[in-house]
Amino acid sequence: MAETLLWVLPLVPTLTAVVMLTTRDRRILSAIDVTSSAVLVALTLVLAREVASGGPRALGFLRVDDLGLVFLVLLVVLTLAVSIYTVGWLEQAVSVGNMRADSLRSYFALVHAFVATMVVTILADNLGVLWIAMEGTTITSAVLIGYHGHHHGLEAAWKYIIVTTIGISFGLFGTVLIYAAAADVQAGAGTMSWSAIMSIAPRLDPGIVRIGFIFVMVGYGTKAGLAPMHLWLPDAHSQAPTPVSALLSGILIKCALLGVIRFQTIAAAACGPEFPAGVLLIFGLVSVVVATPFILAQHDIKRLLGYHSVEHVGIVALGLGFGGPIGTYGALLHAVNHGITKALAFFAAGTAIARYGSRDMRVIRGLLGVAPFGATLLMLAALSLAGVPPFSIFVSELLVLRAGIGGGHWVAIAIFLAMVVVIFAGLLHHAGSMAFGQTTATAGREREAWFPLLGMVLLAAIMILLGLTIPATFDRPLRGATEIIVG
Amino acid sequence: MSAETVHTVIDDIGSLLLFTMILIVAAGQIYRAIYAVAAQSLLIAIAAAVLARATGNGDLWVIAAITLAVKAIVLPWVLHLVVQRMNVRREVEPVIPIAATLALAVLIVVVSFQLSASLGPVRQAITGNALPVGIALTLTGVLVMATRKTALTQMVGLFASENGIFFTAMAVTQGMPLIIEIGVILDVILAALVMTILVLRVRSTVDADIADLDRLRG
Repeated sequence: MAETLLWVLPLVPTLTAVVMLTTRDRRILSAIDVTSSAVLVALTLVLAREVASGGPRALGFLRVDDLGLVFLVLLVVLTLAVSIYTVGWLEQAVSVGNMRADSLRSYFALVHAFVATMVVTILADNLGVLWIAMEGTTITSAVLIGYHGHHHGLEAAWKYIIVTTIGISFGLFGTVLIYAAAADVQAGAGTMSWSAIMSIAPRLDPGIVRIGFIFVMVGYGTKAGLAPMHLWLPDAHSQAPTPVSALLSGILIKCALLGVIRFQTIAAAACGPEFPAGVLLIFGLVSVVVATPFILAQHDIKRLLGYHSVEHVGIVALGLGFGGPIGTYGALLHAVNHGITKALAFFAAGTAIARYGSRDMRVIRGLLGVAPFGATLLMLAALSLAGVPPFSIFVSELLVLRAGIGGGHWVAIAIFLAMVVVIFAGLLHHAGSMAFGQTTATAGREREAWFPLLGMVLLAAIMILLGLTIPATFDRPLRGATEIIVG
Repeated sequence: MSAETVHTVIDDIGSLLLFTMILIVAAGQIYRAIYAVAAQSLLIAIAAAVLARATGNGDLWVIAAITLAVKAIVLPWVLHLVVQRMNVRREVEPVIPIAATLALAVLIVVVSFQLSASLGPVRQAITGNALPVGIALTLTGVLVMATRKTALTQMVGLFASENGIFFTAMAVTQGMPLIIEIGVILDVILAALVMTILVLRVRSTVDADIADLDRLRG
């Protein structure tokens, strides 16, 4: 049952993508979109129940364990929220001419193909398949980023596909090196399956695994948006259509992190946990530091959110680098929290941009006066992103901090805290000036649309829930995943 | 073939691969870079055939055939066609002088050999000098992508980089599983396709070359 589900999961979005090509009607397309995402959520819940009762399942080159499950849940929840949001967003985008009504079906088909590649990335047990699916996400999402077809969008798409393809070829090289190390131990018929390599990992040659891990770190790290390989990220995340931005920032970079984590466990077993932890710590710190000045000086709201993703991916890397059960648990929780919150922030920003006809934060003023619900949600997302209690990101940042202090990484902690405080001030300043004050004269005065709000409220509810308590059903896979990583 | 002969042949092919890489880096005209990367892919196909013969691994024959057809013939031909179709006004457009890039490429080769010389027993799992040559090819390909502004030259860098990975991968004992290699080749083809579409789209919708796109900053 669960084994079959492993194959059904990626098939659902794939078939949806094909079905999408048969119709041009916007309502029908949206209906298929939401239905397919809801089916994906339902199937994932069934799979989660099976894994909770019967442990990891594998079939062919796909496998699900608690680690994959955490990311899979994040993916399907975001996909559902994006689908609901898209219903209203599309109506608005078509009416102002941002999206061409006759090309909608290819847009939907690409989004679902993109989701399908991410599902395979998460479920892949074979490291080669992981790489292929990861490159697949690049190809499908590159087209989506340039979808509007204007100058900036195409520039962002080109930069994205070139930089991430360079990066990901490093990832393939690292994969080949680790495979060579495994083939050496097994004398001949090598395997590329992660679970099989893990079982012989302590016997792998540490020298080659070190080089392999650095290649993988640079490769998948590029895709995850870790500095200094993040150069494509603010462009791509800001120029993509808003629902795609939410998917890119919310889950795609987390899929790349999952790739890093898979190799981290191999490297930790082969050459001791200190080596991969050290590498992750450096990349994490650099990301947090590099993102800060750009967040402060930013005027474009979507670029601001893009740079902010660099910071948060850095925090996840820091958590993994500090290590131990607390740091790893915190890092995983942070990946989920950031995914949910950042998608919400992109949604809220997208509706604000549509209302003001501008993405410049100096133009977006007094949102509370014209769109009270949207402005409230934007403020909630900003407060959570800044790390204010009782929202979810506060909890996970605290866990990461706790792990750092426990491990005695004082320098890293000092830098991390300083940057978080500066970003806190900068972000609240930006968000506050958008929500409050005199409303700009050019702002649209129409009533707020239902569907975008519905998608946002869904995410906001999860965000607040995870800040107050972590439900036992979600805590279990998180603990399981932590165990897989820490060993 | 004895293991000794295979080692020698792979090492010879490796040095020829490095030579084609130098040609790509030094190419002042886009045509030369395309021909050089086609020659490089041809060498990769030959290497695959040699290893197939030596190890008796049937999968490698398939890989040799696919590499020959796709990477040595079809992709260079498509690039050639695009160059003609677009009537390219610009050539390679290096960001830093070609001589400097060449110096960097030499540095990369030296470092790659140093790096893999420091590795001990695991080198037995990889035939001959395929590991340092592969690392050098991959890094130099990335160097080409990073230091050239025009889209087509960047794509040539990508293919060269992928060639390096393939060379190392096939020299690993028994080679990688066939299905994975085919998947990787498929991804490269799709990426090239999407890139070509983007190049043409930039041309038709905003009437600019990729090299002129530099508005997104900060």
